[in-house]
Amino acid sequence: MAHQWGMAIDLDRCTGCEACVVACHAENNISTVGEEQAALSRAKHWIRVERYFEGEFPDVTVKFMPVFCQQCDAAPCEPVCPTFASYHTSEGLNGQVYNRCIGTRYCANACPYVVRYFNFFNPVWEKPLHLQLNPDVSVREVGVMEKCTFCVQRIKAGEIAAAAEKRELKDGEIQPACVQSCPTRAMVFGDLNDPESEVSRMARSGRSTKLLEEVGTRPKVNYLPRDSWHGNENG
Amino acid sequence: MATKTAEQITVDLLRPLSGLSGRYLLAAAFFAGMVVAALCAFFYQAYAGLGVSGLRTPVFWGFYITNFVFWIGLSHAGTLISAILRLANATWRRPVTRCAEVITVFALSIGATFPIIHLGRPWLAFFLFPYPSERGIWPNIRSPLLWDFFAINTYLISSVTFLLLPMVPDFALVRDRSEGIKKKIYGALALGWTGTPRQWHRLETAMHIMAIAVIPVAVSVHSIVSWDFAMAPVPMWHSTIFAPYFVAGAIFSGIAALILAMALLRKFLHLEEYLLPIHFENLGKLLLVMSLLWFYFVFAERLTAWYGNEPSEMAVFWTTQHGSYSPLFWTMVFCNFLIPFPILAIKKLRTITGTAIASFTVVIGMWLERFLIIVPSLSHKYLTYSWGTYRPTWVEITITAGTFCAMVLLYMIFSKIVPIISIWELKAGQHVKTHAVRLVVRSNEAGAD
Amino acid sequence: MPSPPVIYGLFVDPESAERGMNALHRAEVSPKKIVVMSAEPFDDYSFSKMDHATPMPWIAAAGGVVGGTCGFLLARLTQEAYPIVTGGMPIFAAWPSGIVTYELTMLGAVLTTVVTLLITTKLPNWKPKLYDPEVSNGRILIGVLDPSDAARVEIENRLRGAGAVKVKATNTHR
Repeated sequence: MAHQWGMAIDLDRCTGCEACVVACHAENNISTVGEEQAALSRAKHWIRVERYFEGEFPDVTVKFMPVFCQQCDAAPCEPVCPTFASYHTSEGLNGQVYNRCIGTRYCANACPYVVRYFNFFNPVWEKPLHLQLNPDVSVREVGVMEKCTFCVQRIKAGEIAAAAEKRELKDGEIQPACVQSCPTRAMVFGDLNDPESEVSRMARSGRSTKLLEEVGTRPKVNYLPRDSWHGNENG
Repeated sequence: MATKTAEQITVDLLRPLSGLSGRYLLAAAFFAGMVVAALCAFFYQAYAGLGVSGLRTPVFWGFYITNFVFWIGLSHAGTLISAILRLANATWRRPVTRCAEVITVFALSIGATFPIIHLGRPWLAFFLFPYPSERGIWPNIRSPLLWDFFAINTYLISSVTFLLLPMVPDFALVRDRSEGIKKKIYGALALGWTGTPRQWHRLETAMHIMAIAVIPVAVSVHSIVSWDFAMAPVPMWHSTIFAPYFVAGAIFSGIAALILAMALLRKFLHLEEYLLPIHFENLGKLLLVMSLLWFYFVFAERLTAWYGNEPSEMAVFWTTQHGSYSPLFWTMVFCNFLIPFPILAIKKLRTITGTAIASFTVVIGMWLERFLIIVPSLSHKYLTYSWGTYRPTWVEITITAGTFCAMVLLYMIFSKIVPIISIWELKAGQHVKTHAVRLVVRSNEAGAD
Repeated sequence: MPSPPVIYGLFVDPESAERGMNALHRAEVSPKKIVVMSAEPFDDYSFSKMDHATPMPWIAAAGGVVGGTCGFLLARLTQEAYPIVTGGMPIFAAWPSGIVTYELTMLGAVLTTVVTLLITTKLPNWKPKLYDPEVSNGRILIGVLDPSDAARVEIENRLRGAGAVKVKATNTHR
């Protein structure tokens, strides 16, 4: 059976450290945009840690969660792209084909999670930072949309390696950059079609919910929020 | 209108075609300069990237799409007046049809440039065209932007032919009254028209068919433009009311643009005896109806949203009504309803000046309405962490101003080349009237025998 | 091709043009040879009623059907040739394909109408067999193409009698 890639995030373990954000930038050749452009909300953090503060000091609760492309099965970004630059792969990922993108930005408007980013300018890496570019990932030019791909280059590399060695992929063998860098191992990546994979087991947990499920996008990321966020002190 | 002789009509309506006054040249130079400035701004943007505009996460559509929807909406002027009034046999339409059809063609052409202006990679705009390629590129027919492509092209081709066909007899008229190179050009455009009953009848049949065809096309065009928004799961966009709401709004802004154009033509081309107060009266009444209809749609949409009390929708609702977008929102309500309604409803105020003022405010209000549909919703989507804002830069403002100037410039050039009032239709209308009178007199005489 | 000789009268108003037409009918001139030209359509007058029958609406409808078929085929065949999954929708999505079909139907009807118009009016024809610029000045031209020599004088008299302000005859071939 074909793989259906998904993720699970245990928010009880997440500390909000944003190592995943940095790792994603490094792995996927995402440029930084500078202070001025970031102030204009043009930063391209494919994964971002959303933070919500509740209450007044000293009784403040901070709720935070990493948000990135949910690779929805009924992705609203896909039918609206006029050039098929946004489409659904057979392994359940939402693919973004940079060469086909002409930058209408309809997909970004349709995405309820606001996880699609636009290259407002040509990305710039001041020397010698250009040396850190990942050769497995294309560099996008101005005018093109981009977003989290579940590190599809790592998925493909893992599949090719397993096929070359004539074996099945092991659960946990493929790790996107964010999953690999998470110090508390809050993020898990795996095959939702394999009922024994860790991501499937976490998805079956009683704590498992999906973000904006009511919009009907059928996202593939399962969030396991802290019990304390539901008012249960014992977590 | 005091019955004019055919010759008088011809002389009056051909007069604007000759001579270029200093005032005309100065105005044309100004508008052309603004258009050039807009072009420069666009090329700068294409070169440097859309970052020079005010767009940002999450407001990825701003001024350009506002203009796109606004101009496509304005293009509904011609359809309503020309097609519907032709089919309804409304005799007062005759001096007005060509003015209206011209607005349609130019507004549509300007509107159709915006999908290219707003692209991230405009040099690849041809990807939208269904052409066979070995690269596996094919447009996605499930995308509302593709429906836009087909609908706008169909409407553009239909409107251009609807405008050009009745111009042929007038070209023949100008041909017969010109010399030299002018005669050659108009002769070519007149296609050798002679005016046999066969030609007249075929022309009128063709126009009748096109009038019937162009109305559903116009309705579909603006419905499809509205579906650019309604098909996306964005709060206050994903609403079934959008298609009729947009079509009504389009007709509303179209009539306003037509009244404004007529008022200006009347003043600058001295057409006081052709564009009469009764025309402005009648169009003013139509504008009043559309203003009420607009209010009805806005009320229905907002009541439903408010009553439903869905959190993400209410965020957008309140930001337009009380929050940062409220000054624009209330200006829009003023411009689209509170000012036009009394002017158009009170007969004493429904003069040429009155309707022109009301139309001017409606044009502003409808532009604001397009903006307020797009930006507040995009800035307040489901996840509050990613709410944002939008502020246009000089690039967007220059391009917007440039398109308004382009419209005026195109209109100015057109009215110098082609009689802005359809001469043969006006003459035909006159003799239809006198013939009808004669029939009545004859039948009275017969009855008296 | 040289133009045939012609005799025509220029009338000032539709009533006298009507009389001129009737005079020609009484002179038993073949309707095929009668030429009428005017600067505006005079649909209510009988002199304008020749050549009225046209299948143009039916042709336009047929053009619409052709356009619609093309639209449907475009949507169906191309979407199935490039089967790309988007948003869980079927490859051949009926509703969106309906929109494209509809638009191309209307385009087909419009373009067919224009082409039919040009063909049936035989335009463009920059060298018409007969034209008098007086027609643009509001005169209605009623004439006879290729009159027999015997009938010439009678036709001329009848036209004048009906109220033609000018009667012209061309023997020259253009």
